[in-house]
Amino acid sequence: MAFNLQNHNISYGDINVLQNINLSIQKGEKIALLGRSGSGKSTLLKNLFEMQKENTSYIPQELGLVNNLSVFHNVYIALLDKNSTFYNIRNLIKPVKSEVLNTEDILDGLFLKDKIFSKVSNLSGGQKQRTAIARSLNSDKAILLADEPISALDQNLSQVVMDTVNQKFETVVCALHNVEVALKNFDRVIGLSGGTVIIDKKSSEITQEDTSTLYDVCK
Amino acid sequence: MFANKTTNLSLAFLLVGVISFIFADLSISTLHPFLETGKFFGSIVNINFNNADYVIEALLNTITIAIISIAISAVLGFFFAIVFKNLVIRIGLAFTRAIHELFWALIFLQIFGLNTLSAVLAIIIPYSAILGKVYAEILEENDHFPEELRGRDRVSYFLYTLLPDAFPHIVAYTLYRFECALRSTAILGFVGITTLGYHLSSFFMQGYYEDVWLILILFYIVIATIKYWFNKYTFIPAIIASFVYVKEWGELNMDNLIRFFTSDIVPAPFKHDYTIERTTQWFSNLFFDEIMVGVFNTIVLTQLALVLTAIFALVFFPIVSKKFAKIPFIGHIFLVVLRSTPEYILAYIFLQLFGPSMLPAALALMLHNGAIISFLIGNQSNKMILRQDSTKRKIELYFYEVLPRIYSQFLAFLFYRWEIIMRESAILGILGVATLGFFIDSAIADFRLDKMFLLLIVTALLNIAIDLISKKSRDYLKVDKPTSSCGCSLK
Repeated sequence: MAFNLQNHNISYGDINVLQNINLSIQKGEKIALLGRSGSGKSTLLKNLFEMQKENTSYIPQELGLVNNLSVFHNVYIALLDKNSTFYNIRNLIKPVKSEVLNTEDILDGLFLKDKIFSKVSNLSGGQKQRTAIARSLNSDKAILLADEPISALDQNLSQVVMDTVNQKFETVVCALHNVEVALKNFDRVIGLSGGTVIIDKKSSEITQEDTSTLYDVCK
Repeated sequence: MFANKTTNLSLAFLLVGVISFIFADLSISTLHPFLETGKFFGSIVNINFNNADYVIEALLNTITIAIISIAISAVLGFFFAIVFKNLVIRIGLAFTRAIHELFWALIFLQIFGLNTLSAVLAIIIPYSAILGKVYAEILEENDHFPEELRGRDRVSYFLYTLLPDAFPHIVAYTLYRFECALRSTAILGFVGITTLGYHLSSFFMQGYYEDVWLILILFYIVIATIKYWFNKYTFIPAIIASFVYVKEWGELNMDNLIRFFTSDIVPAPFKHDYTIERTTQWFSNLFFDEIMVGVFNTIVLTQLALVLTAIFALVFFPIVSKKFAKIPFIGHIFLVVLRSTPEYILAYIFLQLFGPSMLPAALALMLHNGAIISFLIGNQSNKMILRQDSTKRKIELYFYEVLPRIYSQFLAFLFYRWEIIMRESAILGILGVATLGFFIDSAIADFRLDKMFLLLIVTALLNIAIDLISKKSRDYLKVDKPTSSCGCSLK
């Protein structure tokens, strides 16, 4: 099992963000998390990340990019804990060839190869999102937790990203606000509203009624 | 017109300023002040180049000492910034930066003598503390990387996720500080180091105004062209060249250093085992005759200068504002000249012209600091977007549109300068006003280093107190701005 939450509550001060969450996530599951902003999606993802830090790559909504570094170095950040400090410093000053080739491969799949040495501050919103996704793809983690990673991408690119991450990571939990994308790409859909789970079903078992509920919670 | 808070605070400062004005001695004691002033400004047309060779040598000394000092200060400052969370470090730095570089110079002259080593140390100690504090602020402001994503390898994460965003601001601030270091190094000449101030004071005392102008104009040119000869491409060769240029460092005399700490600065009553009665007498003399008088005069001068600075800035910022001036460029030149002249040199010039009182110091502080603030709020007013149908009448524009919008920012700028004005007020005592610097200078002249040491501690404490009050005032107004957005020329 990847995650297991029983009657889980999270509150900041007096505000209950998550209430009575019962959730177990098996290895190998691909899960979409649906809900409007403020429904508790981000809190839940962050919480899951804290539970399994060693094994998990996490893309927060604000992406965690370093504006003044190139796309290459931002993607490399995934490997900082894996390599020696000396190697990291060397790669910061002069990019190591093998790392560049490896990063080019990843970026190629996301149609971002030509931007490898551009500063992140010069990228568009969609290019920044793809840089953050590339960083996750560069890690050797088994689980991906992603908070609306495709909100600034068009339909084509969204599909490419969804296919790539579902193929690369064993387990995926991805917050989204698009019901069709969720049903099409994920085996299981969880609908959150006001900090509680209101729907938790396999995509194949989602009824017409469920769909309209999901549309409602994402509005 | 204004929010209550800004009005209250402004009126409180104005009141303190007026009270200071009543206590301040602002008399003119020279016989023909205006004749002398006229002679000084008149001689600008007859600049004397005959002494150019040793003026140039002093200029090179000034530049190389400033470069070496800022380079070492930046390295030390960076180290301090990383450990800035440590309370002991923070308090230590607050003390070292509260003491003016001229005071440090006076101390090192006692220990190592009149040489480059003393000069470099005098700049490095306060500057590394200032840089350390500001670098720490810059690092904190640019810390955008989500905490939960930070991994175990702290050094690598620091280098990859924090330094890249902070670095440009650190470089910009260091370059700004280099300009300050040039000014500081120039005035070290007033205590005997052979930088520009040395010749400036000797020419002035002899009335050779034609030579004084040569020094001033060379100095303005050097300051105005900094970005062409000290920038990211030239700084490494410039640092190497400076180390090569300085041949006579002087000697690191350990005996003197040890004697200084173990004997010179130990208060006389303890060193000579005075009786209790005599000890009390010693301390009460020091306290009532020097500390009380010095602190009082320092505060009077500071508060008076602060209000004068405020008035100057409010009157003169329109000359660099596109909203008011037809040719803001001319205003810019006027303000740049004032800003580039160290307060100490301005005060020295006014002292020669008007004779000893608080007047030269107050004028110098007003002109230098007022020019800096005018420039900053002038720039702010340029960024302001007004309605198309806003009034075209200048007075109405000033009071109804521009001033209300910039006023709280203006106060914030003033508070940032407060601490600096206080540092300068203390140091200007060396020129004869009875602020703390006067008593420190006299103590050194009499070789009473124990007294000097206690007076310096009082000076530092006073400065730290002002720093805290200034911080409180900014919090009260909620006008604290990030260092990297505007504070550069203020801190």
